[in-house]
Amino acid sequence: MARNRITVVLSQAQGKHPAKRALEESVVAALLMEPGVEVSVVPYLYDLGPDHTGRMFLESVRGDMVLLSWLFPRAAFWILDRDGIKGHWGESQLKSPHADAEDDEAKVPEPPKGIGALDVPNRHIYALDMRDFNNHEVYVEEVRRIAAECRERNEKKQKATTPAVPASLVQLGLVTHDEPPAPTRLFEPEQMLQAPAGRRWYPVIDYSRCTNCMECIDFCLFGVYGVNGEERILVENQDNCKKGCPACSRVCPEQAIIFPDYKTAAIAGAPIGAIANLKIDLSKLFGGSEKDAVSQAVLERDRELVAVGRDAVGTAVGLAKRQSHHGAKPKDDLDSLIDALDSLDI
Amino acid sequence: MTEPLTFMMGKFPAPLQANRRYCKNHMWCQTTDGVLRFGFTTYAVRLMQDVYFLDWEINEGDTIALKQKIGHIETSKAMSDLFAPTTGTLVRFNPELLNDPSAINVDMYGNGWLFEIAGSDAETISMNDYHAFLEAGWEKTQNMLKGHM
Ligand code: SF4
Ligand code: SF4
Repeated sequence: MARNRITVVLSQAQGKHPAKRALEESVVAALLMEPGVEVSVVPYLYDLGPDHTGRMFLESVRGDMVLLSWLFPRAAFWILDRDGIKGHWGESQLKSPHADAEDDEAKVPEPPKGIGALDVPNRHIYALDMRDFNNHEVYVEEVRRIAAECRERNEKKQKATTPAVPASLVQLGLVTHDEPPAPTRLFEPEQMLQAPAGRRWYPVIDYSRCTNCMECIDFCLFGVYGVNGEERILVENQDNCKKGCPACSRVCPEQAIIFPDYKTAAIAGAPIGAIANLKIDLSKLFGGSEKDAVSQAVLERDRELVAVGRDAVGTAVGLAKRQSHHGAKPKDDLDSLIDALDSLDI
Repeated sequence: MTEPLTFMMGKFPAPLQANRRYCKNHMWCQTTDGVLRFGFTTYAVRLMQDVYFLDWEINEGDTIALKQKIGHIETSKAMSDLFAPTTGTLVRFNPELLNDPSAINVDMYGNGWLFEIAGSDAETISMNDYHAFLEAGWEKTQNMLKGHM
């Protein structure tokens, strides 16, 4: 039955890294043999523009979905959300090998403190990080587990709704949305794999952390951020963002702004709980002259302003509110890591 | 001749070599055939552990300025941008590391050298001063590492 199938989408790595391609191919080959799994391949998710067939395909998927990508799961999930491909966060059981096993039980998922995503349909999206293992079997196993988990969840949902619904409607009422169109027939694989127009660079907001404080919109002088009708912060003009510049992510008091392609894990969307186990950035120790995060952001912003022929503004613009209301909340791991790096004044 | 010093990173020894100068970015510096050769100190290598990737962003022959960002390193435990230890002209990178950076772990004071620069060693410090510099920074470094691990 189509609705019991799970859609797995593999988002390719940027470039043509042979080892990455090989892993992608073996994962896809193995998943093609899996019953109940619909597998498709699209290019690097972050680069997909709205007209790309791969993106349209992703938009067409209605049920539960697993996304395999070379991105941190948090980054992948919120890129999808940004593209209007929404769902509930599906928790993968794949633990990054960089995480220490002993620490795992101690990690209680933190309660969401952000404003959350809008209009989340009744389905789950699981994001798996292809950088964690170089063995396809691990991913296939996890897809099986997720497929079973989704089946169970959907059966429960179905039981809960069945009695109230007349028998003739049951079949249509199982899923919250229309029966998914058979996606493979609508989208030719070759089209889906067309190379994206180019690399893109823009902030991605993690609404599970974002508190709508508006620091970012005040700070960015390139008009990237905006608000919607309900005064919710959003990335409005993503193409105005300056390539390579992660300035506003340093200013966000909640570390809610992700630049998926940035070199340091904390900004690229590393998992919050596991952040402590990720690679440490020793740049300061090895002679980097960065000071605290805000000064760094101010420098980066000035560089971009000057690059487009505008005047540098230093700390004069967009920082006023910051110190006043920050600092009262308990810090989580990501906050402490960033503070630790900041305080290391060598 | 000066006795080599060893800095204790907690219970882990980080031996220094007596016959060379040091830089505050945890590189050693030695004048060989009129150029300055640089490499990581044991202190740096202990913090990073196994080197996986080493990337240079400049080319041989380029003029570089002190503290200019010149590359990036990724190891089993860490990653870092790399910065020029002095001003000068980059003569060459250690060709052996370009394919396989593991010599940095095996022989950081010898075959694991990083690059050679034609320039002045005015920015370098003596082994004793470097040792004192490590002592002075050790608590902060530990706090950072603890905050992280
Ligand atoms: S600064 Fe961060 S928390 Fe504040 S509105 Fe922007 S993204 Fe949200
Ligand atoms: S990175 Fe710079 S240009 Fe881009 S949104 Fe942030 S502050 Fe604006």
